[in-house]
Parts: sequence; C-alpha cells; structure tokens
Amino acid sequence: MILEEAISFLQKNPPYQFLDGPVLKEIAHSLSMEFYPKDTVILKQDGPPSDAVRIIKKGSVKILVRAEGGMDSVMDFRGEGDSFGFVSMVAKDRQKTTVVAADDTICYILERDKILKLIETAPVIAEYFMSHLTRYVDRTFEEMKGRSLAYSGTDRLLFTTPSGDIAKEVITVPEETTLQEAAKVMAGHRISSLIVVNRNHVPAGIITDRDLRRVVANARNVADPVKDIMSISLIRVDASDSCFEAVLKMIKYNIHHMIVIKEGELKGIITNHDLMLLQGTSPLSFVNDIEKQQTIEDLVPVTSKMNTIIGLLLQESTKAGSITGIITEINDRLLKKVIEIAERKFGPPPVPYCFIVYGSEGRREQTFRTDQDNAIIYADTSAEGEEEAEKYFSVLSAFIKNSLVQIGFSSCKADYMASNPKWRKALKQWKDYFDNWITQPTPEAVLKSLIFFDMRPVHGKFSLCEELRSFYTPLIVKNKIFLANMASIIVKNTPPIGFLKSFVVEKSGEHKNEFDLKLKGIMPLNDIIRLFALENGMRLTSTLDRIGALKTGQSAVREYHNEIVHVFEFIMMLRMHYQFEQIKEGHSPDNFINPDKLSNLEKKTLREAFHLISRLQGIVVEMYKPLIV
Amino acid sequence: MRTTFFSKKTESASLLLGDAVYTVLDTELTGLDMKKDSIVSIGAVRMKGTRIDIGNSFYRLIHPAGRMDHKNILIHGITPSEVEEEPVVDAVLDDLSAFCGNSVIVGHFVSLDINFINRELKRTGRAKLKNAAVDTCKIYEWIKSSEGAFSRHYSARQDELDLFSLAREYNITFNEGHNALGDAFITAQLFQRFLYALPGLGVNSIRDLLKTGKA
Repeated sequence: MILEEAISFLQKNPPYQFLDGPVLKEIAHSLSMEFYPKDTVILKQDGPPSDAVRIIKKGSVKILVRAEGGMDSVMDFRGEGDSFGFVSMVAKDRQKTTVVAADDTICYILERDKILKLIETAPVIAEYFMSHLTRYVDRTFEEMKGRSLAYSGTDRLLFTTPSGDIAKEVITVPEETTLQEAAKVMAGHRISSLIVVNRNHVPAGIITDRDLRRVVANARNVADPVKDIMSISLIRVDASDSCFEAVLKMIKYNIHHMIVIKEGELKGIITNHDLMLLQGTSPLSFVNDIEKQQTIEDLVPVTSKMNTIIGLLLQESTKAGSITGIITEINDRLLKKVIEIAERKFGPPPVPYCFIVYGSEGRREQTFRTDQDNAIIYADTSAEGEEEAEKYFSVLSAFIKNSLVQIGFSSCKADYMASNPKWRKALKQWKDYFDNWITQPTPEAVLKSLIFFDMRPVHGKFSLCEELRSFYTPLIVKNKIFLANMASIIVKNTPPIGFLKSFVVEKSGEHKNEFDLKLKGIMPLNDIIRLFALENGMRLTSTLDRIGALKTGQSAVREYHNEIVHVFEFIMMLRMHYQFEQIKEGHSPDNFINPDKLSNLEKKTLREAFHLISRLQGIVVEMYKPLIV
Repeated sequence: MRTTFFSKKTESASLLLGDAVYTVLDTELTGLDMKKDSIVSIGAVRMKGTRIDIGNSFYRLIHPAGRMDHKNILIHGITPSEVEEEPVVDAVLDDLSAFCGNSVIVGHFVSLDINFINRELKRTGRAKLKNAAVDTCKIYEWIKSSEGAFSRHYSARQDELDLFSLAREYNITFNEGHNALGDAFITAQLFQRFLYALPGLGVNSIRDLLKTGKA
C-alpha cells in the first residue's frame, strides 16, 4: 500500500508517467520518503551538491538565489509533482540555489545512482531532465543578470540601501548651547543640522538650517539656548530600514532631516539632500512640485510626470507595498491640493467636514491612474444647517470631481463620489447608513457597502471619520449575519485555478483568454483580509497593515502569513508591471492579463497564489458555514 | 543471551537519531488479552534516519490461533476466511526477526505488539526480540511536556492519544481503514516529524531517545 501510493503518484507526474509499468514500479521501489518542516533549508547555495532528485509529494518549496550583493531573492516556487536538486546532482557541482520548504513538505527521494541509471535506460527521462537542465540554467543566469543590473546600475539605490549606510555622523550639542555657538558648530562642520541632547545624552530635539533662518528673520537673540527653538518631534528611522522608507517618512511629515537609530542608539542623521543624491528623479522633489502649484491647470503638467516616477520606482523596487505607499502619498498630496484650491475658491465650509477616500485609495493600494472613490462626512447640525451645508458641498464636490478628472483621475462609474448627494452627508446620516448595512444586511447592500469599510480621512476634521469608524467597528463584531453575508460574497468569487493550471501544463496556445487580475486576484484577498480584520474589531484599512496586525491573532493569517504577504505583493507587482507596459505601449492601463504574456515563473507563482486564495476561501467557508446564505 | 542483549543496545545507543535504522511496527490482534488473543497481521516499515524506505516494508497476514472476535473483525476488516489460507504465526516469525535485525523498533503503544510477538517467539522456542524499542505515544507526551515547560497549556486527554488523532494533529494524510502496514506507515510519518522536533529539545542520540520514549 505504501508502494502503491508511490506508484500512483508517479503515474500522475511527468516525466515518470511516461515510463512502462515495470520500470515505474522499480523506481517506486527505490524511493524513500522524507519530511521537511516548514522553513527547513533542504539545499544550500554554495553547499555540497544534491545527493538525489527530490519530488514534492505534498507541500511546496522556495528556490532562492543570493546575488552578489548578498541578498536572497526568491526566483521560483515548486509545488506538488515538481522536482528539484537535479542540476547540482548531475553536475556534482556545488549547489547553485538555496531550497527552503515553504510549507511542511513531504518529498520522495530518488537517489543519484538510480536516476543516472534511469537516464541511460529511459530516453524519455533523459530528454525531460536535460531540457529541464538547460532551461533552468538559462533562467538562473537571466535572473541573476537582471538582478545584478538592478543592484549595481548605481552604486547605491533607494530601495536596497539601508538608511544606516548613508547616515552621516551626528554632531550633538547640549540643550544649553547658544544659537550662535550652534551656528558656529554647523558652519565649522559644514553640516545643516545638529542633534540637541539632554543631560543624559538622549536626543531631545534637532535644529536645522531652516530654524536658524527663522532666528535671523525674527531677529532673535543669538545668546538664547538652542532648546528654545529646536524641533522636539524627532521623526526617526531604523538603520536597517531602506532609504525609501526614510523618504516616505520625510514626505509624510514634510521634514528634511531625520535621525537614524541603530539598536536603540543614535546612529546618525540623513538628509533630504543625501537621499536626492541617491535618486535623480526624487519622489520627494515631485511632492514639492505639487506643493508649489496654485491652480488646477498648473497641476496637470505635474501629474503627467507621475507615470514616469512610478516607472522608475518599478525598475528598482522589489516591494509592491512600498510603491503603492508612495503613489498613495503623492495622490493624497494632489487631492489635498485640489481641495485646498477649491476651499480658496468657494470660501470656508459652513460646518466642519472630513473628506474621505475608500476603496484602493483607502487601503493605500493605488497603482497607476485609478478611479475616484470619495465622500464627505460633515458635522451634525440643524436642519437649516444641513441645507446650507448641502448647498456648499454640492458646489465644492462638483469642483473637486471635475478638477480630479482634469488632472487624470477618472470619475467613478458607480458614482461613489462626494459629488453624489448620497455620499455627502452629516455624520448622523452616515451612522444610519452603516447601521442599516450592518444590522439589516442583504447581499446586494453588503456588496455595495464593502468598499466603505476601507475608508480613510484625507482632509478636514479627521475625528469625524474616526467617530464613524468607532460607531461601526463594534457593531460589526456583534452582527455575525453581516459578516456571514460578507463571507458568502467572498467565497463566490473563486479563483481561476483550473484555467491557469491547464495553461501551465499546456504549452500550446489554446487558452488565449484574458483574465481580470484585479477581480480574481486582488479583490478576493482584500475581501478575505477585510473580513478577518472586521470580525476582530480592527480599525486598520490597508490590507498589508491588516495582515500584519492579524498575524498574532487570527489563526488562518497566522498560519499562512508569509504566503499571504508574498502572494499579495506578487499580484500587486504583476499588475503594476503589466500596466506600466501598457502605458509604455500607449494604451490606457487595465487589469486584463493575457497569460500568454506571462513568464513561466509568473504563471507558476500566480497558480500558487490562486491556490492560496482558494485555501483561504475554504477557511472562510468553514468559519461561516452555519450562517452562509 | 545477555551479551546479545547488551551488544544490540549499546551498539545502537550511541548512534545519532539521523544515523540509526528503525523498524516501525504495528500488529493487528484478535483482542488485547495476552492469554487468549493472537496476532492477525504484522506490518513494518523501514526507516533509515529520517527517510522512510518505500520499497522495503514487511506485511504478513497470519492464521490466528484463537478464534476471531466479531468486534475486531469490524475494526481491522480481516475476516476469518481471509486468514484461513495464510501461514500460521511460526512461519512469519523468522522473517520478522530478520527484518528487525538490530534496528530500533518504533511503534504506537508498541509494548503491546512486542509482548504478543515475543509470546509467540517464546512459544515456538525462538529468541525474543531484544531490540531497543520506543513508543511514539510516549515520545509525543514527552515532547508536549517539554514544550509545556515553556507554554504550560498542554494537558493530554487519554482519548486523544490514539494514532489517528496524532496523525490528524500533525497533518498526516491517511485512510481510516485499519491495516497493520498502513498504520505502521502512519506511525513512521509521525515518528519522522518527531525526529525533526527532538534535536531542538536536546534529544540527539538513541540513548537520549530511549530516555524519552522507551517502550
């Protein structure tokens, strides 16, 4: 029965399936079975050659290559029925890749002498493995070459350089130092900032060129101590964080200097200037460009540079989360600028309000040009107040909508915009909306409401948005029927596993259909993670943040955490690359992927991704089975 | 007799877990009474270190001496007529002893199996199995209690210690049917997982292993 199991396994998998019965049986007889717990390093790059071919019976492995720079990158996933370890086994050369169990993995082991004999006697096996060999080696070199280009094109790059590496030594001064002395120290060292430390030598603040300019402008007494004018909020970045993360923070807090902390100690300081040197077209300078504009017309040429920026980011970055992060940050800036211009034009609002975004904007997952998804929540007021507010916000939102269209954000087809009177309401009305959706869920209503649960304030009085969130978050936790409605929507959107699987196997171009990567890849993941986050009463809106927060609690996420992050990053990245290609070819970007244009590696990973989604949907079904309609 | 006893054990005792040879064994019995019941089938799987040999297993049906109980027929699915044609236990014993050699014997509640086998060996004037033997159930409890030293969440209920419950816990796929070889294979996969967990808990040699799970 053990042997029978092995035989029926081999009968299903190439190249063994092409063998005659007796040979197949002999092979099965010579197998042994090994178990590798998740994360076991099965083969190690530069280690001794593999002693056998391993055929994956259950589970999966990651194949990693360490480039010159010393970074491991995943270049392939192998799943059930796939083999690995052939190349170094045959070549008896040191192992060229690292193979790590991505799950608890069971392998059949076919030892060297057995497979060598097989290659001699069964041409079909020889053919299979030899073509596999050349293809595999080619790809390894391709990938390596691609990577070395990416990593050594410039000496240091934004995404791969830890901020600790470019941090400059910090000059510190005590709090009592006078402004004049501080200026002298800065001039003497030719630096633009000083870290001010307290008596215990702990950083207490920072003083920069900018601060000193203000001293002069205000004709302040230069004998005053630095502690009077220093900026106290010290935004910091960890030495191991990439420079890119540092840039993100600088953009976010609008600062030009940031201290770098290593193992809790002050390591140094990095400046906007240092980062600019790393990157010709800096996202930071781009943001400054936005800030300088005063009219919608002036914003148009600025935003047209956006795709170039994203293209540059794509060429360097390995993390989709970082790219969408920066795109969102820039889009937020644009949106705020538009609202600012609108407010200047129409005067201050009659009641406090909050301009919110949701959908992909709310999740901070925007890629190339996206639709507008926004709304207005204004403070509760009297009936007359509401009338006045409605009058004001209808004009304001119409202007915002048209302006955004003008600078490249197309309007939402389903009319989920503040310009729709339904989506500009007083807080109490919004609470009624959510109350209705949650306590009297119907599948259609739930489907329509889902994107609102990813809402995020962008402009105005943020507390209005947060109050609304505080209202609905506990309400959802209590209303399992609502969650079950969400669950039933989620499980209906099944990934196209069969389609892609047959495609991966079939090398003929039969399947020329395209599929919607957003609908079949990104949406199900977003939906599943949103469900888990909401049932746990979480307030976060970004999918990656939600996954991170669920890591320690929600069991499915805990179990599949790395896979989910990997898959999500991969699909987002695939989508962005695909859209960038479309843009370069002069098409407008969409989400329809033609599998013919995917590399084998991408197809394989996509297949894994769909399997994961399907597994997660299975978990959702299990959880909500009794309630699902 | 005594020399064999010691040489067998000391020979293997110093081996590292990954270098030892194991016989993972299971029997199906007509019942649990040592006086009345007998062996219906014996299954055994060979492991070299952490690897399970696919082509080197042992499976024999035996014509039982005692009568077959209805209840047990239901459990193992072997009917009296099926075993009628099979050899009596004597003929199988030599093959089994040879298969075990001086490997370490592994099994779930394996003392029971060994007791029955040794009873037969003794009855037929053969040498008993004197191999070092470990019980996967005991190893499981030992691992849980060692991990418990950190987490203290674990308290096993007796009814969760059967082979299938543990197989489920460790995500081992299996068919529910009882069969000595099938069960030995499940036990082997369970033991395979233990072999990965044990070094982390300070168990490196067969000597260490015997301290945790001696049958």
